[in-house]
Amino acid sequence: MATDDRSGITAVQGLVGPEIAASRITPGCNGEYYLHVGETEFGPLVTSLALHKCALIGLFCTEGFVSASRFSLLYVFEYKATVLILVRNTGGVATSVARLLPSASWFERECRDGFGIEFDGAFDERRLFLHETYPEGFHPLLKSVRNEPVATRSAVDPAEEYPFRKVTGVGIYQVPVGPVHAGIIEPGHFRFSVIGEKIFNLEIRMFYKHRGIEKLAEGKRPQEVVRIAEAVSGDETVANATAYCCAVEKCTGTAVPDRAWYLRTILLELERIGSHLGDQAGMLIDIAFPLGANQFAVIREDVFRMNALLTGSRFMRGMVEIGGLSKDIRKEQLEELGTFVRQARKRYRVGLKIVLSTSSVLDRFAPTGIIKKSLLRPLNITGPAARASGGRVDVRVNHPYGVYDRCVPAPKPLHDGDVLSRFTVKASEILDSLDMIERLLAAMPDGTVKTEPEVKDGYALALVESARGENLCWVWIRNGVVERYKVRTASFCNWQAIEHALQGEIVPDFPLINKSLNLSYAGTDL
Amino acid sequence: MVNALSCLLKGKVTEDPLIRDDEIERIGRDIRREIDTVFGRSLAIRELDTGSDNATEIEINNLSNPYYDVERFGITFVASPRHADVLIVTGAVTHNMAGAARKTYEAMPSPKFVVAVGDDACDGGIYNGTYAVLGGADKIFPVDLKIPGNPPTPKDILTGLLALMNQAKKTR
Repeated sequence: MATDDRSGITAVQGLVGPEIAASRITPGCNGEYYLHVGETEFGPLVTSLALHKCALIGLFCTEGFVSASRFSLLYVFEYKATVLILVRNTGGVATSVARLLPSASWFERECRDGFGIEFDGAFDERRLFLHETYPEGFHPLLKSVRNEPVATRSAVDPAEEYPFRKVTGVGIYQVPVGPVHAGIIEPGHFRFSVIGEKIFNLEIRMFYKHRGIEKLAEGKRPQEVVRIAEAVSGDETVANATAYCCAVEKCTGTAVPDRAWYLRTILLELERIGSHLGDQAGMLIDIAFPLGANQFAVIREDVFRMNALLTGSRFMRGMVEIGGLSKDIRKEQLEELGTFVRQARKRYRVGLKIVLSTSSVLDRFAPTGIIKKSLLRPLNITGPAARASGGRVDVRVNHPYGVYDRCVPAPKPLHDGDVLSRFTVKASEILDSLDMIERLLAAMPDGTVKTEPEVKDGYALALVESARGENLCWVWIRNGVVERYKVRTASFCNWQAIEHALQGEIVPDFPLINKSLNLSYAGTDL
Repeated sequence: MVNALSCLLKGKVTEDPLIRDDEIERIGRDIRREIDTVFGRSLAIRELDTGSDNATEIEINNLSNPYYDVERFGITFVASPRHADVLIVTGAVTHNMAGAARKTYEAMPSPKFVVAVGDDACDGGIYNGTYAVLGGADKIFPVDLKIPGNPPTPKDILTGLLALMNQAKKTR
């Protein structure tokens, strides 16, 4: 066992307590630790982890993971640099942990829809990704269910429609919005309970775009699934492909050439820059300041064109592969990228100055849509949304992958947690990413960009910092094909932050607050 | 009127755009002319996402950035299907969106045209035949034109809309 593993196990033991023998904690392929727990010790253990300020960053079900039980629930806990996965076996009924760890609520509902697992004591037992047109008792992620067309109902009796939380009282009325919105936006439903203009409660209903990503991956050869990972969310193409490939590379023991990691990191940062620029332009459009918005929209289009020049795709699709990249990027193209980065930085600063010196912008941005720091861990809010509320969470820093240990980002957290903070955090991250690309270009090693992967069975967890925060991916390869592909994007958890950020705000500020987080519906709905 | 006259005499009051993409200008001029012939003044488009991965939405949004600025060619994106001539559909049609998608289509006044944009909207793409989707947009309403791509670029979408104008002429 490597020294790393020993110090890691010591860290895990510090969280789970001395009652758990160190020999039971087993290291995974990618720095994560697994602990199989019995039903009697599970409750106290979870309480202890919650008390140790661990965040529940993922919870998913898988079938046939251990021979002794049909289902296994994998609870992924994170504390600073430590990631611990509790493996809890179940025949189909388990106790809920959502009262203790609120991020578990959506996770448990997801397991219930997918596998039919019932959670005793859950405070919310409504369906999640299977809307009411799906038949009762249909659980698509069960191995016994084939991935083929299913008969759904074309109409639903009003009595069977999704029951939104009821908020009643004098003067409270409901504003239903969506799933089809007024702009060119993805579909989702927002149910506002409003008093006058003030929002008393917002409930978000998602999963209109549920297209069965996880089931689609099952039974496919690992290489084929990279394109599915890219389709999780268009603007997180590189992040999700990298997370998936990283997990497969770790469990197959494939060493990715250095040059491939340098180039991947450039693509990851370009993706972040493009996404943040889009958010910033969108926020400014939503407060009717197109002069500012277009400063960023133009640079963003240039980023798309640069992506196309480097990779042949404006979304950098088809580039990331298991073992590295599908093709190298030529020296002249990288030089062009260097020139672009220098120019973009100058132009970006000009735009930023215009925006941040406009009083009407500041008036709308501050102090609007505050996300409290105390919500970050219970709801597992990550990414710029967390860093604008004082959270020191960044996968690139806390769990560096690829070359992030050599090319370290410098996140600058803010504390106010409002729209202005999120705008400013994104601004500093754009500048930081531009700097990082320059550093990566300067240190670019020569060599190949791909190692042919060897197909090998195994499982691994990978975390990647997408533009929106921490994306989690767990891959299990069995008999040479993907047995289970679990993906949980940052958006899935961050959506719940909006419900809190809206309380007490006015309905017209909703688009702005929503845009300041700019979450992916596709990446949530899968 | 005085203002318009003085603009004519003095030249433009705005700066010249820094960006110029001759191909986009050419396609745009053609579309402008066709819209005038086929739709009178302008083409009102309503976008409907029935299950895309959001890349296509981003490209459709990009049509309004200063590089393309398609409003000057007579193309507007409208907030309601009741204002729309054309429904642009992105993504495979999921079971969870099928109901809302049908209602959106029904809310459009006639004559109406449907354009499927992106591989998934064209034929269900990688999701075809799976539990969560019905297939491409043509599974729930008639589709007049398909613009494939993963996702199609803004230029592809504009070229497609030009093709739609030619097609719409035939239905007159």
